[in-house]
Amino acid sequence: MSARHILTYLVAILPLGLFIGYPLGALLWSSVSTSNEGAVTYTLAFLAEALSSPAYLAVLGVTLVICIATAIISVAIALPMALFVWSRPARYQPIALLVLILPMFMSYIVKIYTMRSLLGLNGFFNQLLLTTGIVDKPTTLFLFNRGSILATFVVLYIPFAALPIYLSLERVPANFVLAGRDLGASYARALKDIVLPLASPGIVAAALFAFILALGDFVTPQMVGGPSGMTFGRIVWSQFGLAFNYSLGAALGIVLLVVTVAALAGSGLASRALTARMGR
Amino acid sequence: MTDISRRGFAAMIGAVGAYIAAPAVLRAQETELRVYTWEGYAEPEFVLKFEAANGCKLKLTYTGSVDEMFAKMQGSKGQDFDIVSFDTGSTGRYVEQKLIQPLDTILLPGRAGMIPVFQQQPSLELDGKLWGVPHAWGSLPLIYSKEAFPTAPESWAVLWDPQYAQQVIALDDAINNTALAALILGFPDPYNLTDDQLAAVKAKLIEIKGNLLSYFAGYDEGVSIFVDNGAKLMFAMGEPQAKSLRDKGADVACTIPKEGGIGWIDCQFITAGAKDVALAHKWIEACLDRSVGEIMSKKVGYGNVLDDSLNREIGMTYADRLKYLARPESYDKRIKIWNEVKAA
Repeated sequence: MSARHILTYLVAILPLGLFIGYPLGALLWSSVSTSNEGAVTYTLAFLAEALSSPAYLAVLGVTLVICIATAIISVAIALPMALFVWSRPARYQPIALLVLILPMFMSYIVKIYTMRSLLGLNGFFNQLLLTTGIVDKPTTLFLFNRGSILATFVVLYIPFAALPIYLSLERVPANFVLAGRDLGASYARALKDIVLPLASPGIVAAALFAFILALGDFVTPQMVGGPSGMTFGRIVWSQFGLAFNYSLGAALGIVLLVVTVAALAGSGLASRALTARMGR
Repeated sequence: MTDISRRGFAAMIGAVGAYIAAPAVLRAQETELRVYTWEGYAEPEFVLKFEAANGCKLKLTYTGSVDEMFAKMQGSKGQDFDIVSFDTGSTGRYVEQKLIQPLDTILLPGRAGMIPVFQQQPSLELDGKLWGVPHAWGSLPLIYSKEAFPTAPESWAVLWDPQYAQQVIALDDAINNTALAALILGFPDPYNLTDDQLAAVKAKLIEIKGNLLSYFAGYDEGVSIFVDNGAKLMFAMGEPQAKSLRDKGADVACTIPKEGGIGWIDCQFITAGAKDVALAHKWIEACLDRSVGEIMSKKVGYGNVLDDSLNREIGMTYADRLKYLARPESYDKRIKIWNEVKAA
């Protein structure tokens, strides 16, 4: 291996090790160790505790349901948006794409506050229902429940889902679609049998983005979830600060990490299966 | 480039360099006191006076929560700040993690003038040493809408009254909520509970959830949820929240119901990594000046630790009815209960 090769590897691998390998290692180490006055003890008690509490597992279940729903709904909304951008004439596409991902440039907190002012008891939707006489007093139907967490997640993560879908659509050769049309396929048929299978890696990536971003989010549930807004990220968060139970926090973090890796592996398999079916 | 202009260029670079470096050099000569505190605890009125009197500069960092403060202090083992300000209940945690250092009482003569309950605080005296000096106090009051309640609610039980379903908000904090429930259940020491008492506390806290519109995490967050949703009752973070609510047009008042309430005493501590310990003592002593307390009470609305007449003036007459935050029997148990309550 030449010096240049070694350098290339170093440049690629060093940051990976430093910014991903090291923190992950530290997380794992924290989850199985505890230190008291400098004396370190190794134990699996924290991992056992993280996995044995029925309340925590129930919250994990609720969190997964919300995050899977976020992934499905985000893709369902982002896919037509990405298709629309992709089917514009080439010179308008960059502008249409920019509009699509513009919300990414906005502060996350600003978006959550905006959602709250739309959904709140004195918010837009309640005012609308009140003035139209549909309800006679403001309803908490929109805010401070699990539905509002889902709605806010979807609004936050649609751009993150739309971008990978668009990028995979862009790689679908236009003449494939034309060929299909020439052979008598309707536009819908061409979409279903040619475009979507070719774009499937992007769609899977989009679902994964939305899912993982939602899974790690502990601010949104706090701000819009109300008394039923407990998610797993918040349990992890609660172990830091004055609680000073970094070991249990790390163990809970490992649980979340395992779920994320499982989702990654699952989507990898799904993506391969879809591509294989297409290649048949 | 000719020789002359090259020389000129070098001179210019030198001049620019000196210009950029000059303030840094001046800054290095001036002593800096790094204060990690809460908004309202370092108002310009007395900070500027202290800086002028001691030829130093205060570098202020504000925190958003006790948890953030502890995490930041723990992260640098107290090396990033000279002065830190938190409540009596956290003192044990900081001492145990060796993040603060004992104070030299000789350098703090101003303590003699304090109201006795604040001068003698058992939770500030650990291992026979004094660790912190109070500079403000307050409660976690019940804030109520005067429109819904022409007279102040007499009992905290009003928060559980189904009549006010979805009109109640409460702060999101394990220790404060478990302690409040313990007070309401009549347990003598809300910071030292048996497992049976903790189980009762948990049940009581789950019961209130039907009435809750939301929990809030943070001072402004509570104010904003209250106003945006027309809430009527709030288990609040402090008296100044009522002031902020009134500023936003909500007609509210504070009360400490008959069961009593949770009190906090915020104190200043010197960190383990303080650079100029003598200057840090001077700052704590300067904050014991009557004029400082007056600004904090009248401008921001914090309770005064020196002068009870100031407290009466701003309606804070209940200092002796509060159970001041102390270290709980177990953080882990309380965090677990609080997570289970929120998950229920």
